[in-house]
Amino acid sequence: MEWYLRGVIKLNNIGKSYVTGSQKLEVLKGLSCNIKKGEMVAIMGSSGSGKSTLLNILGLLDSFDSGDYLLSGESMSGLNERAAAKYRSKLLGFVFQSFNLIGFKTALENVALPLYYQSIPRKKRNVIAMDYLKKVGLEDWASHLPNQMSGGQKQRVAIARALVAQPKVILADEPTGALDSVTSSDVMTLLREINADGITMIIVTHEHDIAALCDRTIHLVDGLIDLS
Amino acid sequence: MFNRDTWLEIANTVLSNPMRTFLTGLSIALGVFILVVMQGLGFGLQNGVQNQFSDDAVNSIWVDAGRTQLAYRGNMPNRQVKMRNSDVDAMFQQMDTVHAYSRRVRIWGVVMAHEDQQSNFPLRGVDPDHLMLENTTLTDGRYISSRDVAEETKVAVLGATVVEDLFEGVDPIGTYLLIGGVQFRVVGTFDDPASRWENKMAYLPFTTAQNIFRSSDKVDQIILGTGDMPVADTRSLSDALLSWFKDRKVVHPDDARGVRIENNNEEYERFQNIFLGIELFIWGLGLLTLLAGAVGVANILAIAVKERTKEIGVRKALGASSISVLGLVVQESLALMIVSGSAGLITGVGLLEVVSPMIDHEYFKNPQVDFRIALVALGILAVVGVVSGIGPALRAVSIKPVEALRDE
Ligand SMILES: Nc1ncnc2c1ncn2[C@@H]1O[C@H](COP(=O)(O)OP(=O)(O)OP(=O)(O)O)[C@@H](O)[C@H]1O
Ligand SMILES: [Mg+2]
Repeated sequence: MEWYLRGVIKLNNIGKSYVTGSQKLEVLKGLSCNIKKGEMVAIMGSSGSGKSTLLNILGLLDSFDSGDYLLSGESMSGLNERAAAKYRSKLLGFVFQSFNLIGFKTALENVALPLYYQSIPRKKRNVIAMDYLKKVGLEDWASHLPNQMSGGQKQRVAIARALVAQPKVILADEPTGALDSVTSSDVMTLLREINADGITMIIVTHEHDIAALCDRTIHLVDGLIDLS
Repeated sequence: MFNRDTWLEIANTVLSNPMRTFLTGLSIALGVFILVVMQGLGFGLQNGVQNQFSDDAVNSIWVDAGRTQLAYRGNMPNRQVKMRNSDVDAMFQQMDTVHAYSRRVRIWGVVMAHEDQQSNFPLRGVDPDHLMLENTTLTDGRYISSRDVAEETKVAVLGATVVEDLFEGVDPIGTYLLIGGVQFRVVGTFDDPASRWENKMAYLPFTTAQNIFRSSDKVDQIILGTGDMPVADTRSLSDALLSWFKDRKVVHPDDARGVRIENNNEEYERFQNIFLGIELFIWGLGLLTLLAGAVGVANILAIAVKERTKEIGVRKALGASSISVLGLVVQESLALMIVSGSAGLITGVGLLEVVSPMIDHEYFKNPQVDFRIALVALGILAVVGVVSGIGPALRAVSIKPVEALRDE
């Protein structure tokens, strides 16, 4: 009961369906789970099982139809766009499979972007961003543009960007999906280190090797968590 | 609001498709350029015509007598109506206020001689206000004074051509010349650049001229100054004067020639209206061109927003508020408008500056752009920039991060 209360994320009977034309596709069918503060969780499941959908709901990028979602103790039901943006910038960090760095900004500027949206002055922003670039081992690449970097480097920049605003939770959708195995394990090592600092980490992946590096794995089957 | 980051972002999108940006910018610059140049040309035309008007005071009413057209109260048509001193006095008596006035007698071809130079020139007998009513610029000395008129002094004020022909570089002020064999002292000289005609004249005191050269009490013309009376009032004044005169001189009310009154105020107003029309036309044309530019900008922004869908999604995921996304697009539109608009403004003004000194025509002078008009044009640009940015900006705001971020 105690970990339950400390859960940074609590999902209760979450339902989500997509309507395309006359067809209705039920993706999540009353999903419940708890993720404790500081946990590192992998989400696995076959393609189309709803992993990204779940992660988007957790990241307040998408809405859900039914059920309840408590993030850090607060209900996320029926948030408007503005409130969602606020929670995202305060509590959440994102890492994507395709990095999603902004092409015309340098590594440093990319990392500093979340701070820009928190109205932190430019100088201070760059100092903090530099710290995080150091943390991912890319301080020498600060003034490079994304297209001058390798996939692994880009993902590390993206991780620095996800960290820079000191989120409580980092959501990563197949962060190693576009990387080779050596680079993948580097990135995972980095994510583990970050997790060791107490940041909750939720990673969607297809790879068992990656899932094995996490504390536990949630299997999605047919819109529900497979407990078997 | 416009810090280095925003400029960087604006520069990036704007330069991501240089050709498209250039063409859009060009259409805006062209719109402003056309607006500015046409404005300048219109202004030049106005200046020129205004200058023609400056021959005479704008606020004046001119009274003339001529031959009647219609038989009236026992008088045959084709009768020469004569204005006399007594008529003028009676007219002043029944008027409430007389702001300024001058009677005129004209004598054609009088021999004027100074030392061994002599030539034929017309002369005019005038009152002191004639200086202002005819818009004469004195170049030296003084004009006819009321004392001259009262005492019938024999003084003359000479036009530039007269001075040139008779004095050959000698300063004429204080010297004497013979006008029709009578000795006059030159007290002043003038130059009337708007009327070369006037420069061939000698002005004498009205009374002197009437007595010596007319030997009757006939007055050729009366000019009334209307001061700062509103145009409507001058209209009723000239109407009232006309019927008063017709009645006094027994002229049929429908007769258009016997007594004529011309109201310069009205004339001027008519021109002002024409210029207002021209100005509206110019503005309309310029604004339409600007509108075309604005549609271009809206278009380029809409495409840019579409191309940046993913980026905007990322920004939102990183905490960008709707306002900041809105600002991103609107600022871009503003920047595009102001930069290319200023380019058009500067080239337009520059062209006028270069061309202006080369143009010298009677009806076309000093084509220039009013600084205020330039400011107004920039203001309009800014508004148009914001307005054309709003559509694409709202589209950008409505982008949902999930949809933008979905990997295809
Ligand atoms: N916006 C949408 N509109 C309609 N259907 C959608 C939408 N987004 C996702 N879906 C459908 O929902 C189901 C779950 O999609 P989701 O992206 O969550 O799967 P996933 O588990 O992440 O798959 P993958 O492993 O291939 O990434 C799929 O069948 C997908 O086609
Ligand atoms: Mg997915």
